[in-house]
Amino acid sequence: MQIGRVARYVLGTITVVVLGLIYLPLGVVFLNSISTSETLSWPPPGFTLEWWGKALQSEGAFQALGMSVLVAIASSLIALVLGTLAAMALSRYRFFGKESVNLLIVLPIALPGIVTGIALNNAFRTLMGVQLGVWTLIVAHATFCIVTVYNNAFARLNASGTRLEEASQDLGAGLFTTFRLVTFPHLKSALLAGGLLAFALSFDEIIVTTFTAGPGVTTLPLWILQNMFRPNQAPVVAVIAVILAVLSVVPLAIAQRLTAKDAEAVSR
Amino acid sequence: MDSAIRLRGLHKRYGDTVAVADLDLDIEAGEFFSMLGPSGSGKTTVLRCIAGFEQPTRGSVALFGTDVTALAPFARPVNTVFQDYALFPHLSVIANVEYGLRVAGVGRRERRARAEEALGQVRLAGFEDRRPHELSGGQRQRVALARAIVLRPQALLLDEPLGALDLKLREQMQVELKELQRELGITFVFVTHDQDEALTLSDRVAVFDAGEVVQLGTPRDVYDHPRNRFIASFVGSSTLLEPQVSAALGLGSQAMAVRPERVTLDAPGGVPGTIAEVIYTGPEHRIVVDLDGLGARITALEPNTGAQNSRSRGDRVTVSVEPAAAAPLEAEPDAA
Repeated sequence: MQIGRVARYVLGTITVVVLGLIYLPLGVVFLNSISTSETLSWPPPGFTLEWWGKALQSEGAFQALGMSVLVAIASSLIALVLGTLAAMALSRYRFFGKESVNLLIVLPIALPGIVTGIALNNAFRTLMGVQLGVWTLIVAHATFCIVTVYNNAFARLNASGTRLEEASQDLGAGLFTTFRLVTFPHLKSALLAGGLLAFALSFDEIIVTTFTAGPGVTTLPLWILQNMFRPNQAPVVAVIAVILAVLSVVPLAIAQRLTAKDAEAVSR
Repeated sequence: MDSAIRLRGLHKRYGDTVAVADLDLDIEAGEFFSMLGPSGSGKTTVLRCIAGFEQPTRGSVALFGTDVTALAPFARPVNTVFQDYALFPHLSVIANVEYGLRVAGVGRRERRARAEEALGQVRLAGFEDRRPHELSGGQRQRVALARAIVLRPQALLLDEPLGALDLKLREQMQVELKELQRELGITFVFVTHDQDEALTLSDRVAVFDAGEVVQLGTPRDVYDHPRNRFIASFVGSSTLLEPQVSAALGLGSQAMAVRPERVTLDAPGGVPGTIAEVIYTGPEHRIVVDLDGLGARITALEPNTGAQNSRSRGDRVTVSVEPAAAAPLEAEPDAA
């Protein structure tokens, strides 16, 4: 489609402004992390690597990072197993209430985190009588991590249809052998992409986390929030934020590449 | 001896649509059996019921005397060649062919040997390590065949296996399929909408229409004696003669179908008419004649003998049909 020259300049300008609004603050965070000002005054009076050194020695930050990684991996693994099973059921079988189940699986990603958080907090403490701890947090994260895995796996299963599975069964393979030898190899990259997205979602989640993490369970986002307004900690937080940004972008980029490459392979 | 495949009262309904209506069918061991029909006529559904991918609404499927209606596809002694081949894209050619043996727990060395033998049988030796996407359509077709026959099934089900190939390749594969079937000596059940294919390959043909077998017989039966209008027009080309036209040609007082190659022009005692159209098709000329006073047309075929075509539009001719060359058609209550 052709667009006029004026339209092109206007649209180009809007694009630059919007992207700038998104990414300039990230640049500012990076500058703050090497600023000599402890109160993050602007413009930075000078530059130093002092905060990076402090941050890398901060025990609290590293414990929080470890906790975040643990929670993200555990909830992603739960999501991988349950999401794959759900996607298989909904793409391969017909049963009563199928549409409702589909909606119920996807809904948690659309629900406001604060609602999920309060609901789970209540359910854990009063309904089930469970102490909030690491496990409550992992389960809470898994509720929305399932969605990314499920969506990826479901889309792949629907796109590929049942013909390969029929061929496998025709050649004598039962349900599990067929899944192991045909369905899973075909799903692998979709699952990896979904799992990485789930990891990224869990890694920087803060709202649900606030309501479902037990005392003493501090994930990296919680740690940042707690330290943000402490005296002399602001630049250290900026350092952590930069590290966090880089860490979240990497799995996302990998996931995107995997999906694109596989979509290409499937359409061939 | 039991039939290779015996269907009794096979009925399949999808919602309100009847795909197959109370079908009884016996397919004999070692037979090349075709199910011919337009799309939506139920032939593929029947094949899928035999393979086990579809569960019939009612009725039974027996293979070699054993009722398999309740068995899953992997428990049935038949294998399928799929329309779009359904090769496993993540496996090499040889791994595709070995798949069934691997699942059955056959040892690595034996399965390699048998897979190579099967690839040889379909003339695809030397392609072992290719991936399916590196093969042409015809080669994929051969892999699909090898993958199915390597298990030595008692019957091979083929779902429009040649549909995706171009004409030249299709003709070549037809010959090879026929040879392969003779070599293996097993039952082939072949689904197709291509009447040429069905006539060329089969020992017997079942013509499907709207979920029913409307005619069952040898290719010669079906071609020379089509039972009704549907078969006469679907299998080959023919002119349908209304009763008064049959009568004028001295064939009787019934609706009839006559093949163009059985219509003679300018023989003594013919019905007069005017040539409406002369169509050159290469090997022959199709000549369409308006019959005088009958309001009907009839098509004749004359071989292209190389001489300048002497017939042209507007020429006066006479038309005659041997009584034995016309097939009486059953009256159809639901005449379409």
